[in-house]
Amino acid sequence: MPEHSLSESLQENLSCLNSIFGASADFYTKQIQLGQTSCAIVLFTGISSPEKLWIMVLDALHDSRIAADDGPALLEYLIKYSAVPVESTPILSLEDLCEKLTNGMSVLLLDGCTKALAISTQDMPQRAISPPTSEGDMRGSQEAFTELLRNNVALLRRQFRAVTFTAEIQTAKTPAKTEYAICYDSAATAPELVNTIRNRLSKISLPVLLDSAYFASFLKQDKLNLFPAAAYTERPATACARLCEGKVVILVSGSPTAMILPSFFSEHFESLDDYSSGAVFAGMIRILKYIAFFLSVFGPGLYVMAVRYAPETIPIELLTKLAQAESSTPLPLTLEMLGITLLLEIVREAGLRAPKSIGHTVSLVGALIVGETAVSAGIVSTPVLTMAAAATVATLAVPSLYEQSILFRFLVILLAGIFGLPGLASSALVLLAMTCGTEPFGYDYLYPLIPPGPAAWHDGVIRAIWSTLARKGYQVKQNERKTS
Amino acid sequence: MKEKHPDLFGALLLSVFVHILLRSQTLFWTRTGLLAMLPGIVISALVGLLFAHCWPLVKGKLSGGLFGVLLAISAALEIHGLWQLYTVLYPDSVSLLGISLTVLIPVLYLRRISAVAQTGNVVLGLMVVAGVVLVLSVADRLRIDNLQTDVVSADNLQQALTAQGTLYPELLLPALWPDREKRGSHTIIRLAILGTVFQTGVHLLLELFFGAGMPQAVNPVHQAARFGNLSIFDRLEWLQLIVWTMAVSVKLGLYLYAFTRLTGGKGVRENNLNGLPQFVLASGMWFILCMILKRLDLYAQINAWQTVAVWLFAIGVILAGGVRWSVKICARK
Repeated sequence: MPEHSLSESLQENLSCLNSIFGASADFYTKQIQLGQTSCAIVLFTGISSPEKLWIMVLDALHDSRIAADDGPALLEYLIKYSAVPVESTPILSLEDLCEKLTNGMSVLLLDGCTKALAISTQDMPQRAISPPTSEGDMRGSQEAFTELLRNNVALLRRQFRAVTFTAEIQTAKTPAKTEYAICYDSAATAPELVNTIRNRLSKISLPVLLDSAYFASFLKQDKLNLFPAAAYTERPATACARLCEGKVVILVSGSPTAMILPSFFSEHFESLDDYSSGAVFAGMIRILKYIAFFLSVFGPGLYVMAVRYAPETIPIELLTKLAQAESSTPLPLTLEMLGITLLLEIVREAGLRAPKSIGHTVSLVGALIVGETAVSAGIVSTPVLTMAAAATVATLAVPSLYEQSILFRFLVILLAGIFGLPGLASSALVLLAMTCGTEPFGYDYLYPLIPPGPAAWHDGVIRAIWSTLARKGYQVKQNERKTS
Repeated sequence: MKEKHPDLFGALLLSVFVHILLRSQTLFWTRTGLLAMLPGIVISALVGLLFAHCWPLVKGKLSGGLFGVLLAISAALEIHGLWQLYTVLYPDSVSLLGISLTVLIPVLYLRRISAVAQTGNVVLGLMVVAGVVLVLSVADRLRIDNLQTDVVSADNLQQALTAQGTLYPELLLPALWPDREKRGSHTIIRLAILGTVFQTGVHLLLELFFGAGMPQAVNPVHQAARFGNLSIFDRLEWLQLIVWTMAVSVKLGLYLYAFTRLTGGKGVRENNLNGLPQFVLASGMWFILCMILKRLDLYAQINAWQTVAVWLFAIGVILAGGVRWSVKICARK
């Protein structure tokens, strides 16, 4: 789009701005006289502070003697000789001026000059830095990202103080001109990876960009694949740890969640606490998480398959009890399991979305009363309820794979319920093929688990002690193989 | 970054193993099998190597079409064979459509060649684990004195040689790979060796288990697994079946890749995502062939003729390639 240059006439520039923003109540203009030149200050109240502007700029200008007769001379004086903290690059076009204004800057328009000056007086409304709400870690930093992009970059820089830390601010192709930051450690990150991410993100055009997750589906190679193309965190500490591994962190203005690229399967089973607690305990917790994930995905489906199609796989004592329980319920087993799983998901969703004051009540009513009465009434059997509840609880052990766990659980119940043993095999292979077929930016998604190697035991299925971790280190670049 | 050309050896080996497990379990006694092992390896490896060298000289629409038909028949036989196994073990529980769906749905996610390669490696690992579980669970029923000590006859030896010299379609597939110059020869030789050793190993296990009754056993590996028990768990045949079903899907994924390379198009570039149209076309063709096999009750005949057809096709390609090569040499002189 062609850029519109600013006019020499202050009144023309002001009327042009008034025609664009005049209807907005927060658009503020004030005409002033600086030396011999008529000027105007324009800003948006709420994101730019007139008080700050007055203290920083106007006071300084009022007190100092201005050695300039016209607009261009005043502009040169302000940039080169005055102590006023103006941006060093003047504004040349109307589009640039509008962008500076919407970024929260104040702009000084000068009569007789086709350039304007931006002054950093941003005063964005923001909430205080608070503890993370969705990533429960007991140790380590308790700070979470906020909605302000610059603050988030600052939080990262405060933790990652190396000179190689780079935060590139870009504007997304959205009508709202949302900004995002591509953060990486230039010493640890492969330049090819950064270039690929930069290029791909720059091509994405969106009607709205409210979260970094909006980018995710554009970064996927196979759109049918359910596994996420990226990992997310609301902790600057976690993002910082990923930067050390040579990964790229994407922050979007207005979103308190950072996107991490590339992301690997094993990372969903890791947490900050793993590195704070003892290696043996951390290893055990990781193994438990893997078991929980497989239980949440395959548990109900395996139960349906075993009881309905292959009872010979169940030890006889257990089979007797299960058969007794199932004989008293009217619904087919597959439908019963699907119904209960669906009900538990509704209860969970209701508890999550309902106002906090009644959220607990919803969960309690759903989990206890509905479950208890359904069993008492003989609509569902206790083993089915137990298995479905165990799978739901297990899902929460790996919260970042929550969506996938639920979708796969339904798939496994359906396939195993309809086709039996081949259905279970099919669903297991779908899951495996999806993980094997995911190649985030050309890296192995299953690294370091598959192909199995020493890395899996250093920081994969379990983690080694810190002295070994420190010696071996890990950067994503190590995952690169020589091409044949 | 990932390798540009993912190694498909694991997937190929898995395909050979599942062929053996589903279709050729009791073809010879172990002793004759051991005697025929070396010639079997040499023959199948040699034919595979010659085919890989001659294929670029003769590849064209006709040869590509024939190869495609051969692969389609092999795929249909695998699906049909698996369905027959399930109908014997779980009568009336699953239809041919059901089996086709369950083995073809995962292939949708095996369109990327690296997915086939890595999934093949994982399933191969699972097959090895399931094999170890099988051996452990039936260990107390294996008897050394079950091994047959009859005099080796010419008929027996010929039977074993025929079985050991089976030309699996997987031995021909490396000829289609773009990096066959670098890996083709090793892949074919390793496949021939490991396939033959695995086949002999399966026969040894079954002979130790069944003894003289081995040839009469129906689905012998599965029957043996039925007797297995570990701790409180009895009858571990379901574990084998799950792995075999997965292996058939990986095999079909491999055939889909070969089909894509034969038909050309976008998916021919290495590690590209094979298009959905190729998947739909190939799976539709395989399913229709399965239905024809079922309707006309031709499974046994086609199964018997498949090996002959693969041999004839390979020899045809080798001869035609040899002629072309000779003509080229003469023209140069």
